[in-house]
Amino acid sequence: MTFLSDNGKEYCYEDLLKALNEGKTYYPYYKTSDVFSYFVNLIKALAASQPLVLLDSDINPSEIDGLDESKVNVTEPITPASLKNMDEVVAAVQNSQSEITIFTSGTTGQPKKVVHSIATLTRAVRIGDRYKGQIWAYAYNPTHMAGLQVFFQAFENQNTLVNVFNQPREYVYQQIRDKGITHISATPTFYRLLLPYEQAYESVIRVTLGGEKSDRHLYDSIMKIFPNAKINNVYASTEAGSLFAAKGDCFQIPEAIKDKFKVVDDELLIHKSLLGSSDSFKFTDDYYHSGDLIEWVVEAQGLFRFKSRKNELINVGGYKVNPGEVEVAIQDIEGVRQAMVYGKANSILGNVLCADVVLEPGFEMTELDIKKVLSSQLQDFKVPRRIKFVEEISLTRTGKMKRV
Amino acid sequence: MDKKNFLLEVVNSIRDNKGLEKLSVINETDRLREDYGFTSFDLAELTVKVEDETDIDIFEDGLVNTVGEILAKLEE
Repeated sequence: MTFLSDNGKEYCYEDLLKALNEGKTYYPYYKTSDVFSYFVNLIKALAASQPLVLLDSDINPSEIDGLDESKVNVTEPITPASLKNMDEVVAAVQNSQSEITIFTSGTTGQPKKVVHSIATLTRAVRIGDRYKGQIWAYAYNPTHMAGLQVFFQAFENQNTLVNVFNQPREYVYQQIRDKGITHISATPTFYRLLLPYEQAYESVIRVTLGGEKSDRHLYDSIMKIFPNAKINNVYASTEAGSLFAAKGDCFQIPEAIKDKFKVVDDELLIHKSLLGSSDSFKFTDDYYHSGDLIEWVVEAQGLFRFKSRKNELINVGGYKVNPGEVEVAIQDIEGVRQAMVYGKANSILGNVLCADVVLEPGFEMTELDIKKVLSSQLQDFKVPRRIKFVEEISLTRTGKMKRV
Repeated sequence: MDKKNFLLEVVNSIRDNKGLEKLSVINETDRLREDYGFTSFDLAELTVKVEDETDIDIFEDGLVNTVGEILAKLEE
């Protein structure tokens, strides 16, 4: 059975088992763009109940507060698990006592650490005979919450993962066709890139959207491209993992965890028992402010709809950007007097990151000059795609004229 | 400036930033993703820059794939 198909390379579950039993070390802080090595390291750490910090392959460690760069990609000894078969591996992962640290974009600048247990990461995983034999298009960053959710769902059922993250449209379609992909879970942006409809792909039976608000036009197109698929939506966050799935265009709070939610001033509050742990979380009477504004559809049934986000983070194709962090980076460039970073509504990414920049008198620079500096310091999605030089800053972040 | 030259300039500003060589000419049959190597972020940048100049959102009704399809949108 294939475990992972990545850019022409195929790894079966025997390869995974072999790699897990090999070597007496692992990387507690691992930064790699090789997905197989990343998964091997992840499972190795989990099976041995060792702590693990998940780093994006393109992250600059200086972007993370309190991260000791000298620890990145340095091995630590580990007691090899000596696992005989995949059922033992899955059981070891399920019983793992590891602390798994992932990062969220904070509201004050630096990404914030969130520490999860295997229980919060796999809350939504369903196991059983009806989940066997599924072939998943792997369309998320493997270090992010959504990528972990898909990984555990597929791995614990010993399904196949086909990596299509950041791949062009032609490649994605080719993989769907060649590998007979049955399940896709991705951001609305990923599906928008598959448009326009050219032909139907009948092997896909389940399509899941998450991360951003999606629209009717997109749903209709997805239904044409994947006529046999059931479409659903998930609400998951870096802080809490997967919480609830959609019912039509609404979400429903499951009966079993109904008392773990409150709504105050339209904002969804989540009880701390459902979250990972982080120094950055602030609680009011044990409830966490999610920043998501909702409206009840049928309150007695826990049925609600999302309205908007409370905080200022800009959602760019599913990535959350803190404009303040980017403004600081621009303002650090010599010759820049002031910068304003904001999202502009866009039909592909939801928002495109834009910046207005005021230069000091006597300085000259181009859009490209600024982008080059930023690219060396920030992850790609945080680099504004349009930079305008202005005499003075006159727009608010939402692009509206500021009232004087 | 004619629409094709304008588009060439926008495409080149994006390619330049990606470290790709500038193009001297663009053809109607050129495909944005496959021939120009554009990602979703690049396509978004293209739409914003075209919209700045023309007030037209070229991807409004779903994605377009080729230079010809963009030019057709700009002619509408």
